[in-house]
Amino acid sequence: MSTAAPKRPAGPARLNWRTRLRRDKSLLLMTVPAVVLLLVFNYVPLFGIVTAFQEYDPLVGVWHSEWVGFDQFQQLLGDPAFWASLQNTLYLSFVQLILFFPIPIALALLLNSVISERIRNFFQSVVYLPHFFSWVLAITIFQQMLGGAGILNQFLRQHDISTWDIMTNPDTFALLVTSQAVWKEAGWGIIVFLAALSAINSELYEAAAADGAGRMRRMWHITLPGLRGVIVLMLVLRLGNALSVGFEQFLVQRDAVGHEAADVLDTFSFYYGIATGGYSYGAAAGLFKSVVSLLLIWGANKLAHAFGEDGLYRK
Amino acid sequence: MRSGLNRRSFLTTAATVAGAAAMAPLLSACGGGSGKKAAANTKEGLKAALPTYVPSTNAVKPDIASVQGTGDAATDPAYLSYPASPPTSVSGVPGKGGSYTAVTPLWGTAPPTGNSFYEAMNKALGVELSVKPTDGINYSTIIPTMTAAKKLPDWINLPAWLNANFNTGGLVGTQLADLTPYLSGDNIKKYPNLAALPTGAWQHGVWGDKLYGIPCFSTSFGIPGATFYRRDILEARGITADQVKSADDLMNIGKELTDGKRGVWAFDDVWTYLQFAWGVPMNWKVDNGKLVHPFETQEFLEALDWHNRLAASGYMHPDALAGDVSNGSTRFYSGKTLIGGGGLGAWNLADHQSGTAADPNYRRGAFNAITADGKGTPVIYMGAAASMISYLNASLKPEQIQELLSVANYLAAPYGTAEYTMVNFGVEGVHHTRVNGMPTFTEEGKKDVQVTSYQFLAAAPSVTSNPGGEQTTRDYAGWSAANVKYLTKPPFWGMNLSMPQAIASAAAAQNVNDTIKDCYHGKKKVSDVQDAISSWRSGPGERLKQWMTDNVLNKYGTGQ
Repeated sequence: MSTAAPKRPAGPARLNWRTRLRRDKSLLLMTVPAVVLLLVFNYVPLFGIVTAFQEYDPLVGVWHSEWVGFDQFQQLLGDPAFWASLQNTLYLSFVQLILFFPIPIALALLLNSVISERIRNFFQSVVYLPHFFSWVLAITIFQQMLGGAGILNQFLRQHDISTWDIMTNPDTFALLVTSQAVWKEAGWGIIVFLAALSAINSELYEAAAADGAGRMRRMWHITLPGLRGVIVLMLVLRLGNALSVGFEQFLVQRDAVGHEAADVLDTFSFYYGIATGGYSYGAAAGLFKSVVSLLLIWGANKLAHAFGEDGLYRK
Repeated sequence: MRSGLNRRSFLTTAATVAGAAAMAPLLSACGGGSGKKAAANTKEGLKAALPTYVPSTNAVKPDIASVQGTGDAATDPAYLSYPASPPTSVSGVPGKGGSYTAVTPLWGTAPPTGNSFYEAMNKALGVELSVKPTDGINYSTIIPTMTAAKKLPDWINLPAWLNANFNTGGLVGTQLADLTPYLSGDNIKKYPNLAALPTGAWQHGVWGDKLYGIPCFSTSFGIPGATFYRRDILEARGITADQVKSADDLMNIGKELTDGKRGVWAFDDVWTYLQFAWGVPMNWKVDNGKLVHPFETQEFLEALDWHNRLAASGYMHPDALAGDVSNGSTRFYSGKTLIGGGGLGAWNLADHQSGTAADPNYRRGAFNAITADGKGTPVIYMGAAASMISYLNASLKPEQIQELLSVANYLAAPYGTAEYTMVNFGVEGVHHTRVNGMPTFTEEGKKDVQVTSYQFLAAAPSVTSNPGGEQTTRDYAGWSAANVKYLTKPPFWGMNLSMPQAIASAAAAQNVNDTIKDCYHGKKKVSDVQDAISSWRSGPGERLKQWMTDNVLNKYGTGQ
């Protein structure tokens, strides 16, 4: 946030680590649970990566499974189903970036302009609610409404109008999943933008209004620049997660549109790895995804810094 | 709705699982998976290990007798009543006072420990048998911790479809006791109720030419499934099962029955069990001494083509086309779909109760096996003859093994005997009372007896009996009698193979099976499936076939 960035302490006197430890010990103590959590659930399981280089057999365990080096990766890169799922992932990610990403920002701006606290709270609760539904439930609702035997199509059928095939059409699947994602998650996504909006100094608006700036000009010159840092941060995170477009949503709808349209990297790992006992193959696909994600987030962060933004951390 | 699984609904689950297992290309037909050995049985070794079959002399005469098919196939005897004074099949008390532990899977709520039923059973069995029912849903992960620590109980049930998880092929001999000396050939005559279990079921307990497992709920009519229909609705429209003789007939009644405006579609998914009408082999076919995979046959493509046309015909329920399997039975009960494939376990009392709750006229029927062109003789492939197998601990002394086998003999007493009544319904007046002559659980019985524990250690051969749903019993028995003549064993039937992981993954052929599903749901063309098959064949398919040829076919034959 370029508007109100606190200055970094510029003191040349770097204290030695012992003094700093004494000074910060209560702060450090407070981070311990989070660090332990991270270690236990994120770092220790990294050990499982080793199975990607094995022909892992759960019955004999990691220590006794056959070591095969890069065989799994070689197979993976020669597997058309893998490339298809990678392509799906990137395509869906792109569609969601274009169609999904701006919506929470727009919603946040709209909500921010509502003066009545009551209406605002009501509206906020309504748009948050779908976030707490599971994907299974969300998709069931879509199916009941728009499915082949759902309310809409049954109505069309009874009035001799040709039915509308939304839920099972692989060609429009990207739009379907994006609209499902918007319905379910857009409301939740506005929280961070609302927080950023509330941080903008209201005196700026008053000053601008006094100078005769209209609604649009205030939004353009005050609100959006105020949000810029957060938008860039969210964009960096979004790009880093480009290869994670979700799992359950695709798992549940895979049979409806066919595996070619619905398989993304995560479901690929599941079906070709866990579900058929090819754990090592699944692990290799997962590792591939992680490495590419790491590169993406690094690149996006670099880009953010190049534009003078904070990105993930301040340079 | 039922809460938890009782014995009967468990059997539905088990039969469905077994059915699905039988359908999956070899994967679950094969146990083990360590890749260290290709355990299978030789023809001679198997013959020497198997017990002699001696039909029971105490069995209560069924109301509908078993009908013999070819080979070992026979329908389950069916009962519409329960004997007023059950005959005994075991004289005296089987046990000699030994103390043992047993673990069985439980799908439901565990009964309280030390309950009155356990006490009564221990008295009847003459042993202190402490039964520990263990969560069935997590059974596959609980048991490996016991085997890793080499702490198996004295007696344990290892469901056959989990053989791969347990590496049963590796446990036999080291942790599980060899029962060959006690049960093979005429040795079994000491245990007449065990001797009355069908030979095919015992075969599932034989590993590496030795007998280890005791089959539970054995049947000679273990088939994966059938194409069901709403008999009440179709007959009201003047359609009877014997009018369906070919795939065209099915398509035609599909047209007649579908009424989209009323929300009724003739078909749910039928592919899984109907494909065999085109002569698609199950798992493998042996042609001139060479293995042929179903994917390599013309019949397979023809079957797929018909199902692809069915998907496009508009006679299939849109939700079925959208891959929604979980609501399939709801659609069937409510009459939104009228024809659908399913496991035979679905055809029981629970189905009758759920169906009539939705529609008082509800009646399930199944089409007889057909050939696609209506010519020639249809085929129904046999699945496992027993999917619940129990094993004894290898550390038991010979006299302890004999004591437990005597207990098993008691538990395997046939339907309607005093022992069967005790094991399945508990003590009369305490755990059950007679309602219309049928033993019916009291509240205490529901809590302590209705969960299946002892039956997973040893049990009588399967019978058809649906107290309160006699029509279901008659329908099921009638259908099995009409179709038993078509039962055929597929190659490698009951061979207890062990496959290395990579080969098992190849057998799963994920990409091909996905494309097949898309094809019978109308989203892919048959040519797309052909493409997927040809890329599978050139890699994993070839490795699978090579492995099967080298390690199984050339060494052990097809088991027939």
